[in-house]
Amino acid sequence: MPLLELEGVTAGYGSAPNIINGVDMVVEPAHSYCIIGPNGAGKSTLLRAICGILHPRAGRVLLDGEDIGRLRPDQILARGLCFVPSDRALFPAMTVRENLEMGAFLERDRRVIAERLERALELFPILRERASQRAGTLSGGQQQQVVLGRALMMQPRIIMIDEPSLGLAPQIAEQIFRTIAGFTDMGIAVLLVEQNVRRGLNAAMSGVVLDLGRKVLEGPAAEILTDPRLRELYLGRQAEAAAGSADDGRA
Amino acid sequence: MQWLQILVLGLMLGGVYAVMASGLTLIFGVMRIVNLAHATFILLAAYLTFFLFDLLGVDPILSIAITIPVLFLVGVGVYLVLFPRIENSPRFVESTVLLTFGLALLLEGTMGRTFTGTYRLVRPSYGVESFLIGDLYIPKGQLYALIVSAVLLLLLAALLYGTRIGGSIRATMQNRTAAQIVGVNVRRTMALSFGIGIALAGASGTLLSFLFPFFPASHWEWVPVMLALVVLGGLGSLKGALVGALGLSVVAAFVMSEFGPTWQPMTFFLALFLILLVRPQGLYGKPLEA
Repeated sequence: MPLLELEGVTAGYGSAPNIINGVDMVVEPAHSYCIIGPNGAGKSTLLRAICGILHPRAGRVLLDGEDIGRLRPDQILARGLCFVPSDRALFPAMTVRENLEMGAFLERDRRVIAERLERALELFPILRERASQRAGTLSGGQQQQVVLGRALMMQPRIIMIDEPSLGLAPQIAEQIFRTIAGFTDMGIAVLLVEQNVRRGLNAAMSGVVLDLGRKVLEGPAAEILTDPRLRELYLGRQAEAAAGSADDGRA
Repeated sequence: MQWLQILVLGLMLGGVYAVMASGLTLIFGVMRIVNLAHATFILLAAYLTFFLFDLLGVDPILSIAITIPVLFLVGVGVYLVLFPRIENSPRFVESTVLLTFGLALLLEGTMGRTFTGTYRLVRPSYGVESFLIGDLYIPKGQLYALIVSAVLLLLLAALLYGTRIGGSIRATMQNRTAAQIVGVNVRRTMALSFGIGIALAGASGTLLSFLFPFFPASHWEWVPVMLALVVLGGLGSLKGALVGALGLSVVAAFVMSEFGPTWQPMTFFLALFLILLVRPQGLYGKPLEA
């Protein structure tokens, strides 16, 4: 049985039209997937519909075969699925240590929390130096490390990360992607959303391409990267748009 | 030595003000609800205290043990009935102003019908007695109110910084999405915070019941006072509410002694205007995002 399975997931915000439409997908344990697609393809919405911040309007989200589509975010997290949003979402007035400890909010055993904190600090040595500093005063790259460290504190089986490179200098982004690529060695499945197609696909094992809320392509990351249809999707849209405006001109 | 007397009187009222303001700012900080009905809950507790004293002879300070849990439950109930409906409104903060304004009118009308418009004041013996220390005149009622307020604020701090529930409240205040993704049950945290905020309103209502006479519409006098206190400190900041409450109550005491009681309410309006002109985010508040 796959770890996570999406069956025809359809979702949107408020009373607005659907953003994603009937997406099917399978996530295997300790495997990484990068979700790519042009702006407005519904990448972030897909992650939100899985983690419980948004409830799917139709379709099923199955974790270990159980439908989690109606559960609250904290109930889904307790089942081992963790979400890292693109705005980093840390607690600015708490220290780095408190932020990391909040990651284990659902764990009540203080000893277990201390052990996990130690492991997170080993993975991100810079955070040990900054442990007593307020998280809001850190640089973007350090904040991203806090958020990833915090996500690991729950010992998730799946981590979903939305645009980890947003607003980071290229070298820092490289470093973050290397860390993320290492998560699968720890037995964690990774779902990554990334604007930069090449960088995202290089960091993941499989690629999933969304366009206008539908899945249009899926396969090993290296194959997706060289697939001519991917180029068409990104460049073809512009050609269509150009043709469209030419039509308007004639009318 | 007259200035010392005024300072002491101002500081003693500041404690009660801080309890009022902390509830209001907690409710805004966690849920972004501007609670214009806060003072009606204060009056509700004041009436409860009045009848407990009048009919059963319960000492007003002891009746805090009743008003706090009762108002807490009222708060949780009101939250669950009213606010989840407008949760996803794109104009949430504005909606809460209208909603709580309506709630204030409803509660005021209900209290007027039930308790009549007569002025009430709870009159325990310490309501009129004083200690005399040197030249310093210390009204017993105000001193006891200050002590109770300090204890309540310490308990609030212990709750916020020493318990799991407190951790989830602070997390939700700082970043609701982040709280959600680390596993805080945000809906439950918000209902609890609203309950705690209203319970604090209840506690301050009990204390005010023997300090100031009240009638169902007198909550309007407290709305600008409380808004000035929390806006000075920074809406949503508990430290700010404390500093704002102590600071403004001392200033108001000096204004009253210099210019007379007529000018005292002006202090709060003037403070509100000045803060909004000079530093709209208040002392410890975050500037509003565009």
